[in-house]
Amino acid sequence: MRRLAALLALLLLAAPAAAQTSDVASDLPAAVAEEQITVSSDYRGSYVTVFGVNPDRRGRGDIVVVVRGPSESATVMRKRRVLGLWMNGDPVQFSEAPTFFAVLSNRPLRQIASPQSIWRYQLDPAASAQLDSAVPQGGDPSAYRAALVRLRRQQGLYQEYSGRAAPDQRGGLTLYQGGLFRAVVRLPANAPIAQYYADTYLFRDGRLISAQRIPISISRVGVERRIHDLATNYSFLYGILTVLLALAAGWVAAFLFRRT
Amino acid sequence: MIYLPIAEMPVNVLLVLLVSGGVGFMSGMVGVGGGFIMTPSLMFLGVPPPVAVATGASQIAATSFSGIMAQTRRKSVDWRMGMLLSIGGVLGSVSGVWLFERLLHFGQLDLIVSLLYLILLASVGFLMVREAYHVWRGRAVKGVSILRRPVKTMAHTLPLRMRFPRSGLYISVIPPLALGFGIGGLAAIMGIGGGFILIPAMIYLLRMPTNVVIGTSLFQVLIITSLIVVLQSTATQTVDLVLAALLMLGGVVGAQMGARLGAGLKSEHLRAVLGALLLIASAKFLWDLVIPPTEPYVLRGLW
Repeated sequence: MRRLAALLALLLLAAPAAAQTSDVASDLPAAVAEEQITVSSDYRGSYVTVFGVNPDRRGRGDIVVVVRGPSESATVMRKRRVLGLWMNGDPVQFSEAPTFFAVLSNRPLRQIASPQSIWRYQLDPAASAQLDSAVPQGGDPSAYRAALVRLRRQQGLYQEYSGRAAPDQRGGLTLYQGGLFRAVVRLPANAPIAQYYADTYLFRDGRLISAQRIPISISRVGVERRIHDLATNYSFLYGILTVLLALAAGWVAAFLFRRT
Repeated sequence: MIYLPIAEMPVNVLLVLLVSGGVGFMSGMVGVGGGFIMTPSLMFLGVPPPVAVATGASQIAATSFSGIMAQTRRKSVDWRMGMLLSIGGVLGSVSGVWLFERLLHFGQLDLIVSLLYLILLASVGFLMVREAYHVWRGRAVKGVSILRRPVKTMAHTLPLRMRFPRSGLYISVIPPLALGFGIGGLAAIMGIGGGFILIPAMIYLLRMPTNVVIGTSLFQVLIITSLIVVLQSTATQTVDLVLAALLMLGGVVGAQMGARLGAGLKSEHLRAVLGALLLIASAKFLWDLVIPPTEPYVLRGLW
């Protein structure tokens, strides 16, 4: 019964992103160290640590951990020269593109999973981006997809690591004795504040054996939360408040200026 | 470091205070608003352009309000003219915010903003350097002759004329409305107050006496920037209260120190230096628009 409930929960949670994992087992014990990440005025990014145990007694198989942010539409444009000036043109829209995507594995992903599995289980950011609008004439859809990944990678929003973390890297996956594994990835401060998921996959001989999904919630607290709520829910009041603050600052300045 | 709730990024408090203080210092010394330096500086610090433009407006509102307090004591605000300019400005900034949102939608906002800054910084920088050069050479600037106001401009011949006792004018209401409209639109798109365009336009086009020009333009700038803050927070939700507070603090303190220090220095030297800085900044904008980009693709997602 508990097993069924867990499976049902997994099905519901897994809905869009990792849709096709429902046909595999979910007996991969895994957890995250930070289920709640709070954003206050001193927030400068965070680390996400995923650990778990390979259920195979002899430790066979490969571990892949994917930390995903929510998917949103994104537009990629190519610069064109018009009258000697470079302007944005030829827009291509992606209906779904992950706002954060980190994939960690114990050895290079291409050696673990076939290109078909990578595509099917959306194990790399390019596979997770859904092209929406037609690509303009002469444009190459894969070039746009690659540009999206390249630009987000530069912003630190897409990250890929294989093996244990090197000292100069911001993430990595380490295998320990007894099938224990630990994956660490740096969540930069510019990553959106939203609901994240850490998905753990066990591959053996290129086939997906087991998968597990754990939610990670990132939320604002304290003043950050109050300001953001005010700005989104009572935006008119928020605008008035900002103007009043400006007037007060100006009045104080004028007052001090006259005195001295 | 402090995390900005709307821009969703951490910034170095000291750095923001230093930049806003520096801009305030310069504007206090030379006597220009400084919005047209503040907004590009914020973008340079990595603040997303929509947030920089919308939040910069609140800082301009603060400095212009403190300016008005000083000007009203000297009775140098033409309220009737100010109201008329503001009516035009309100319509202009509403259209400006609409255009801003459209340009953002079509992905051309950065191009238009860069182009407008290029034109504006280059022309203002050129005028400042030229003026300083003329003063240095001991020649009077031509603009002085407008103080005798026998010349009739378009403002005097168009219909719908109205009396402005404080300025001693009897002119058509159309030029002030149109002028206010244009400034309001530019202010909404570029995150500037527009005083440095408005003041010469009031002197040369409307033939207003110079003693009421500054106070009246400050009044219009205050109305427009306050409106833009409210409009942007409801339409695009890009006003960052924490960033705004930092900018106001730095800008206000900087402007006071600048004004006090500037009194002891020769203004033509300051103008020459600022003018040269503006020319360099405009060259940078031109360079970025003309040279082939290293990354041919641009991404528009979160902003």
